[in-house]
Amino acid sequence: MADVLSVGVNLEAFAQAISAIQALRSSVSRVFDCLKDGMRNKETLEGREKAFIAHFQDNLHSVNRDLNELERLSNLVGKPSENHPLHNSGLLSLDPVQDKTPLYSQLLQAYKWSNKLQYHAGLASGLLNQQSLKRSANQMGVSAKRRPKAQPTTLVLPPQYVDDVISRIDRMFPEMTIHLSRPNGTSAMLLVTLGKVLKVIVVMRSLFIDRTIVKGYNENVHTEDGKLDIWSKSNYQVFQKVTDHATTALLHYQLPQMPDVVVRSFMTWLRSYIKLFQAPCQRCGKFLQDGLPPTWRDFRTLEAFHDTCRQ
Amino acid sequence: MGVTCVSQMPVAEGKSVQQTVELLTRKLEMLGAEKQGTFCVDCETYHTAASTLGSQGQAGKLMYVMHNSEYPLSCFALFENGPCLVADTNFDVLMVKLKGFFQSAKASKIETRGTRYQYCDFLVKVGTVTMGPSARGISVEVEYGPCVVASDCWSLLLEFLQSFLGSHTPGAPAVFGNRHDAVYSPADTMVQYMELFNKIRKQQQVIETRKPNQ
Repeated sequence: MADVLSVGVNLEAFAQAISAIQALRSSVSRVFDCLKDGMRNKETLEGREKAFIAHFQDNLHSVNRDLNELERLSNLVGKPSENHPLHNSGLLSLDPVQDKTPLYSQLLQAYKWSNKLQYHAGLASGLLNQQSLKRSANQMGVSAKRRPKAQPTTLVLPPQYVDDVISRIDRMFPEMTIHLSRPNGTSAMLLVTLGKVLKVIVVMRSLFIDRTIVKGYNENVHTEDGKLDIWSKSNYQVFQKVTDHATTALLHYQLPQMPDVVVRSFMTWLRSYIKLFQAPCQRCGKFLQDGLPPTWRDFRTLEAFHDTCRQ
Repeated sequence: MGVTCVSQMPVAEGKSVQQTVELLTRKLEMLGAEKQGTFCVDCETYHTAASTLGSQGQAGKLMYVMHNSEYPLSCFALFENGPCLVADTNFDVLMVKLKGFFQSAKASKIETRGTRYQYCDFLVKVGTVTMGPSARGISVEVEYGPCVVASDCWSLLLEFLQSFLGSHTPGAPAVFGNRHDAVYSPADTMVQYMELFNKIRKQQQVIETRKPNQ
């Protein structure tokens, strides 16, 4: 009698109860048929009455029997369990009009999809966390409660220290001059002039390099007010390309604990552009590729490559 | 103003000036250059008036007054081996006032007109040099915008010139040799044009003097 569903409904008893209902229905209709038919034709009036009463009583007994059977079975069927595992959304499945409002099937699909998404996102974040992208000295994965309230020390450096580091780097290379200014608060803005080849605007956040823009030697780096223009791009494609490479470089040179070493390496890398128009590509040997000279400088060897020729 | 190289393209064998220009522009378009309008460079010659020469009888110097559509508000005045003056367009009016000292040479106006092409950071101008009604030659000017020091990017320019001029690639212009590490200026371009125009004028004179002999 026990069935697979945990709904608590006794399916066999259910089926039997349905057939019991049918039997009851037929016996009740037999009673009314008998009444409708009336007395049969017999020899004496007594005989007819007796036959009618006997027939009527039989029918009523069968009705009684069927009703008792139905009551017994209905007690066996049991109630469907009160706790819906799907709560209100389970009631959606009872909607018979599946073609016009396929809500329940869509709901199931949406739920499966969001489960899968959550699982994949968990896997992806695990993989991505292996490669740290933060350039500050914060520990990864430390919860908010345990993380010390103070900011990491390398982000809060006295401006005098930044000035000193920059002026030391300025003296390192003869063909490169660095001019430091602070027009917007404590962030330093450097204007680096490399020989007669290019000018670079470097926006810093304490000693970390935030953004760079590379422009030509003859291009205007100031706005109409006379302030340093840190937003407009160069007019020449070659310097737009070098700007992209410089952004890649500032993300490549990372050392959260020693930012002055980072700035020094970045400036050394930048200095290799003094021969931007003179050096041929180390791989193909030519000067021009799609109209551009070799704009890529390898991070370790500082060799010149075309953007499409680099390994 | 980037480093510029002005050179002359010899007319192809058996073809007219216009056809050679068309060949060149087609090659440029195949390279991927975009047409960006037209340009014009013209040159007038003046020579110092006889009255100012004095008793020494020194030869009169030739002065060239040039305009370049790339710098529409400027006027360039230069002597052959001497300095180049960059002035605004009122200089032409001034020359009229200086009629006593500088006289315009007859039929001396020479100009080059043509189309501008832009390829990446290169600006290429191919023009027909005309003196009066007749076409005398083809001028090719290539400017590389990003670089301002001539000695730095000559190899780069040469490679680009070879890609569409082929065997007619010129040698390094004289102005490149003169100024090492000095910033290139528009006056240097005008000096190159002046030399080109003089060369074409001389070629024309040679042809004219040869004709009576034939």
